[in-house]
Formats: sequence, C-alpha cells, structure tokens
Amino acid sequence: MQLSTSEISELIKSRLENFSTSAEARTQGTVISVTDGIVRIHGLSNVMAGEMIEFPGNTFGLALNLERDSVGAVVLGDYEHITEGDTCKCTGRILEVPVGPELVGRVVNALGQPIDGKGPVNAKLTDKIEKVAPGVIARKSVSQPVQTGLKSVDSMVPVGRGQRELIIGDRQTGKTAVAVDAIINQKGQNMTCIYVAIGQKASTIANVVRKLEENGAMAYTIVVAASASDSAALQFLAPYAGCTMGEYFRDRGEDALIVYDDLTKQAIAYRQISLLLRRPPGREAYPGDVFYIHSRLLERAARVNEEYVEKFTNGAVKGKTGSLTALPVIETAAGDVSAFVPTNVISITDGQIFLETDLFNAGIRPAINAGISVSRVGGAAQTKVIKKLGGGVRLALAQYRELAAFAQFASDLDEATRKQLDRGRMFTELMKQAQYAPLSVSNMAITLFAANKGYFDDVATNKVLAFEGKLHGFIASKYKALADAIESSKDLSSDNEKALDAAIQDFKATTAY
Amino acid sequence: MAEISTIARPYAVAAYKLGREQKALGKWSEMLGFAAAVANDAQIKAYIQDPKVVSSDLQTTFLKVCGDQLNENGQNLVKVLVEYGRLSILPEISSAFEALKAQDEGTLDAEIIAAAKPSAAEVKDLVKRLEAKFGKKIEASVSVDPELIGGIKIIVGDTVIDASVKGQLQNLAYTLTA
Repeated sequence: MQLSTSEISELIKSRLENFSTSAEARTQGTVISVTDGIVRIHGLSNVMAGEMIEFPGNTFGLALNLERDSVGAVVLGDYEHITEGDTCKCTGRILEVPVGPELVGRVVNALGQPIDGKGPVNAKLTDKIEKVAPGVIARKSVSQPVQTGLKSVDSMVPVGRGQRELIIGDRQTGKTAVAVDAIINQKGQNMTCIYVAIGQKASTIANVVRKLEENGAMAYTIVVAASASDSAALQFLAPYAGCTMGEYFRDRGEDALIVYDDLTKQAIAYRQISLLLRRPPGREAYPGDVFYIHSRLLERAARVNEEYVEKFTNGAVKGKTGSLTALPVIETAAGDVSAFVPTNVISITDGQIFLETDLFNAGIRPAINAGISVSRVGGAAQTKVIKKLGGGVRLALAQYRELAAFAQFASDLDEATRKQLDRGRMFTELMKQAQYAPLSVSNMAITLFAANKGYFDDVATNKVLAFEGKLHGFIASKYKALADAIESSKDLSSDNEKALDAAIQDFKATTAY
Repeated sequence: MAEISTIARPYAVAAYKLGREQKALGKWSEMLGFAAAVANDAQIKAYIQDPKVVSSDLQTTFLKVCGDQLNENGQNLVKVLVEYGRLSILPEISSAFEALKAQDEGTLDAEIIAAAKPSAAEVKDLVKRLEAKFGKKIEASVSVDPELIGGIKIIVGDTVIDASVKGQLQNLAYTLTA
C-alpha cells in the first residue's frame, strides 16, 4: 500500500475532528457460545433482525435469529478471537457497503473493503445491502438491448437492459466465459459492470480479474469477491453487496450489468448458516426461505422509469431511465435442472441460457442449447438489425436437430432434407465463437446477412469460421463506411442491404478463404 | 445461559403467580434467594451433580440444609425440582423471579460504576435522571472501579450508558483504526 504521510495525518485529523465524546446508551449482551461462525448471545433485548452487532476486536456480526432468551448472530469474518463471556453491543445499523463510481476498477470483498492492494476506496457514500426492490409504479418495460457480443446469445436469446437472464449448466461448460464475454463487450456501451464471485477459488477469481484487465474491462467493472476460503456469511452477503453497488447506478439513470457467479454456492453458504442456526431443514436440507433469498435479490434487477430516477436524484437527473441487468449463474449437477435451487432460479428469472456438456465436448462453444434456452422479455429489446437477420437461426437449428435425429436412420435423403441438414450444420458451426472475442453489432449483422443469403452454403463446414473472419476483415478494410453505418444506425436500410450484398459478392470473387 | 433461563422461566413464573395469589411475594423472594444460595454452594453443587446420589436422598438432604427457611410451598418447589432433575437451576429461577417481581413493581435495577466514589447527592441526582429516562423506579447499586480512569458507567438491564474515560478512549481507538 502506498500512502504518503500527509495523507495519513490528514485522515487522522479529519477523524479526530469528527470524533464526538458524548456518552451514548447502547444495548449490550453476553456471548454464550461460538460455533463455526455462529454466535449465541444473551441479552441484546432491543436488537433488530439484520442489525450489525459489534464484538470485541473490531469484529462485526449480523443478528439473524431473534429468540426469546438469545440472539443468533453470524460473524462477518474471523471469529476465533471471540470467546464465551465476551460482551457485544448493538450498533443500531443495518449492514452497509460503500457505493459509487470510486469503486469502479476495484476488487472488494463482501463488505466493500478493497482486497486488490490499490489503497483505500474513497467512496463518499454507503448504502444498505438489503433493500426493497422498486415497485410496479417505478418500473418500465425492458426495451433496450444488452449486447453480449456472442452471436448465439444476441441472435437467439437476446438480453435487454433490466432483464434477469440465467446462465445455467454443469461444471466446465463455459458459464463464466459467457458472463465474462458479456462484460468485456460492454466497453463504450455506457454500462457499469459488477462481477460478484461467490465461493470460487481465489485463483479462479484472480484469473477472471486478469482477463478483464487484459481486455480493458476493469475500467468500468467492480469485482466483489467472496472466495471459497471466506466465511459462509460473506459468501451469503456478497450478492446483496454487489447488488447495492449496482443499484447506485440504476437509481441515478445509468445502466449496470451484474453477474452473480454463482448463486448455487450462495444457497449452499446460506444452508450452512441456517443449519448452524438450527433452523429446520427442508428439501435438500435447504431452509424454508431459500427461494426468498434469490427472489429478493433478483427482483432488485430492474429497469426504472424517468420519474423514479428524477425523484431519487431530487431532479438532478431528468428524462433518463436506469437499469440493472442481472446475469445469475447456476451450476447444475449432471444436467439436473429439476434440483431445488435450479428450478427456483429458473422460475424467478426472465429466461435462461442453457449450456450443455455434450455440446461443449463436441466443440460447440459457447455450448448453448438453442432448444431450451429462452429469453422471455429480450425480444422486445433486441437490436433491430439482429432481430431482422437473426430470426431464422433458431428455426434453422430447431429443424436441424429434428432432422438430424431422423436422418440417422435413413440411408438416402431427398434434396430438400439434405439441404436443410447442411444449412443446420452450417448454422451450428457459425454459432461457434472464440472466448474473449465479442463481435460488434455490424460484424454480427454481416455474418447473419451472409448466412441468410446463402453465401455460406458453398463453404465447407470446417472453413465457415475462417470465411467469417476474413469477411469481417475484408469489409472493415474495404467497406468501412458501410460497416460504420450499420454500427451507428443498428439497422440495415434497403440501400445498405444492397451495398452489403455487393460487398460480400466482391469478397467471394476476390478473396481466398 | 440462554437455554438454562428458558428452562428456569416456567418455574419462576409459577412461583411468581402463586406468590401473587397468596400475597406472599416477599416471602417467596426470600425463600428462592436462600435456596439459590444453598444450591450455589460448592459442596452442595457437587452433591447435586453427583450421579451416585439417589434423588430421594438429595431431596431430604437439601430440605434439611434449608431447614425452616422454606415454607410448605417452597419445599414443594424443591421436591418438584428434584423430581425433574433441575435443582441446579435454582439461581436462575431466583433471578427470573426477581426480574418478574421488579417488572410488576415497576422498578429497575441500575448498576452505577464510577471511577471515584460519588457523593450521596450525586447518586440521588443520577437516580432521578435515570428514573425520568426509563420511566420506572430505579434501585441503584454503586460500586467503584478505578480502571474506568474517570467518569461513570451505568448498566440498566441490557442498556449500558458509558460515560467513562476508558470507554471514550476505546471509541477513539476504534475511530482511528477503522
């Protein structure tokens, strides 16, 4: 940590100035037992549910169980120094984290304390981590797109600003990759991103942060990390902390994207806390309110209308809507989406991106299953040009799957069926995309346009991606004005359509691929 | 402690209700206080916890030790406690009983800890102010603890009013390190 001495003394000076010496009445209690991060306290007669409790040694806890003779609290962080008989105090505060643009580019823990060694976060504001989601009146329907830069997502399961789109799949199917690519593609899109890592290996988190840095995404990203070695309480709280940091932007008429990676681990952390607090276990030993922990979290991802933003900012921001888009991640075991937590989160979110091991191993990456991946509200928000051109992709893939199963048994196929199979094979190949290589809207439009017009039909399946790459390069160098026009208008006018058609013909006539 | 006080509560409530019906709360308070003191004695404690002691023996011995301090109702309470194997929670029953009694009488116990011995007038003034704050009659007990360095600390139930130099220094240390 690099701090100049003047900074330190300034800090101390301001703290001394603000130090008040009045006597205050505080409710005290005595620690009865400490077990695996759960503390039982006698006394604290005025404690509130969710209130912070101060323990000796500058440690804080969260009151979760209020019983007749005792209070059950979970310690945030280390608890080894707390012993039976210690006194603890009520603070009268609900847990808060720092919020604001100062956090951007930083890696913080679930309490908003920096863990990236870049010095203190000088956030001016703090906010409660548990807040009620905006009501019906404050909301606006989702109508602006979030470009993930992934062809398969943007064309088949479009995500809108303010939507909750679940990314679900087994381990090692590229869930994090989809989310990280979506973050990387937000450069210059007026979007602040928050990546909440829950219960992951610290090395995995470090890798994600490094990749975000390499791709210049940390300039607009906050990382909230509660690694596997952090206490269950912090893993449980991290999503709420990240959400509060995202709401700061939503409420001020800006757009934010939050990735919860992953909520299965959060549910497991909450199960641990609940069982240690002796709450009755239910299905899969989860407590009764495991649905509520996810629903109240995801409900806070929303698009709010102009009036809400204006009222919230006291008229400082006028005529702007704010949004918080959530990409929760759920890990399934052996593709079992009917387990407790996956079904819950599927029912809460506005659609899901389903990733499959078989597809992943077959080299189809991102391994999105187009059949059961849906977006319930994103269609209204899809970029015009992608909507116009990408409509056929889902259909072609669906027909392909149906025919492919049937064609396994038939020896010779008629011309029409064979064509459809080839087309499906081509689209499957075309939906493949390398990691950390998101596509711009114009490039995606060019690809889809060429595919729809049949320019890929005479390209060998294994050459499809090479053809696509060369085509993008060709148009970017020779027809830059056209690409820019598509990019800025996000639409394809009939003039541009003709020009693009001619450009692709020019490419096919002049370039080897 | 919490679990013990949960167990002790029904006994205390029963004793309190009976005492109120008989208008003998004072006597009950005395009896429970005495029995609690007996149960707290190290020798008796060991005897109660000794697994080799038969409950009928324990009952006779305990009642003999208490002698004529317990009336018939008090003796019955001891018998019930022996039967359920709860004799060791007598101190908690006594304190729960006292709490109920204080609540009924509208009094609060306040512990005033001062760095230097306060004058009688100061204590009187303090009690008056505390009574105004809590809206109840305050029964104050004063003790001196030089470790506070200066000022006073008042403990009323769960509420602690810390106006001691020690507490302020702790606060300052917290502000500077937070």
